[in-house]
Amino acid sequence: MYGWIWRHLPGPLFLRIIEAVVLVAGVVALLMFVVFPWAEPKLPFNNVTTE
Amino acid sequence: MPPRGMPPRPPRPRPVDPPTEVIPRVEDDYDDEYYDDDYYDDEEEKPAPPPDSVAHKTVRGIGEALITLGLVVLLFVVYEVYVTDLLSAEKQEDATAALDSEWSSNVVTPPPADPNRQSKLNLIEGKAFAKMYIPVFGNDWKFSVVEGTTDKHLEIGPGHYKDTAQPGEAGNFSIAGHRVGKGAPFNDLDLLESCNAIVVQTQTQWFVYRVLPMRNEVAGWAANPKAKEPACAGVAPLSTTLGDAYAKTVGQEIVAPSQGEVIAPIPHQVNATVPPEKQARLLTLTTCHPRFSDKQRLIVHAIETKSYPVADNFVPPEMTEG
Repeated sequence: MYGWIWRHLPGPLFLRIIEAVVLVAGVVALLMFVVFPWAEPKLPFNNVTTE
Repeated sequence: MPPRGMPPRPPRPRPVDPPTEVIPRVEDDYDDEYYDDDYYDDEEEKPAPPPDSVAHKTVRGIGEALITLGLVVLLFVVYEVYVTDLLSAEKQEDATAALDSEWSSNVVTPPPADPNRQSKLNLIEGKAFAKMYIPVFGNDWKFSVVEGTTDKHLEIGPGHYKDTAQPGEAGNFSIAGHRVGKGAPFNDLDLLESCNAIVVQTQTQWFVYRVLPMRNEVAGWAANPKAKEPACAGVAPLSTTLGDAYAKTVGQEIVAPSQGEVIAPIPHQVNATVPPEKQARLLTLTTCHPRFSDKQRLIVHAIETKSYPVADNFVPPEMTEG
């Protein structure tokens, strides 16, 4: 998977490194701001109230 | 042409190539593998790797997927413990700013002289209505308390259970708060000891609540030297001062999540019919227990011992405790 992505990044080496960093940052941001906030209420360890 | 009168120069002898000297191969005992010739070989010179078989690709794909999954889980922990703190700090700041501007713009009606007749606050869900301080946690420990206890509300800060008493009212003023992440207001709730002050400020009044004696202190409270300390003035096991209805109300308890009776006007007495004027003015804090788990709830009960009207430049002396 990672090898495939690396081989398909266009440009010379330094450009590829920049592209890879941008890709990783994008995935992390997507997780932090979209996926985790969505998943968090579905997980059990954050309840602090009594019923 | 050569100049006249001079014999022609004999041709120069051609230099003879010396026989090629054979130098014996030098045995290099500097045997570092980094200087191995192969190390410097360019990639192009290596034979191309054999094409991957399907099995090869599958195994590698699974391996990479598992590593990725592990990284995502690690990232989630970072999010829970650190990033939610940042997001919540911002929300808490906004709520506090809104509360401050509301307090400074409103005309303050002085609190009624009779402490049993509190003016009701107008509580709006998701909006802060009081500030909360726990001096023993340091003077930077302060949170604006919002109305409501849904996930959305608790992201902002500690949340007041709807339909429980208001600050200073007879009954049970109950607040829930996160213990891990989201600002973790109640992170150290388990460290509260009996007689520790919890100060709540509304627009017009300060209320000082003190943690009740712990379960193991109830029996010997009168003989306990701690009971004589000035901080413990007004604190006594409720069963001795208010009767058996309050026998289960102690400083700290750990209960099951289903035990909503801890925030009843008289804790653990859902069906009690005690008139409000005979009820104690309690404060109850709830959070999850143990840390990082929601198996149980940690509950802290405190009783109001003092109240002061809000005045310019006045800070209750309890605020410097700790």
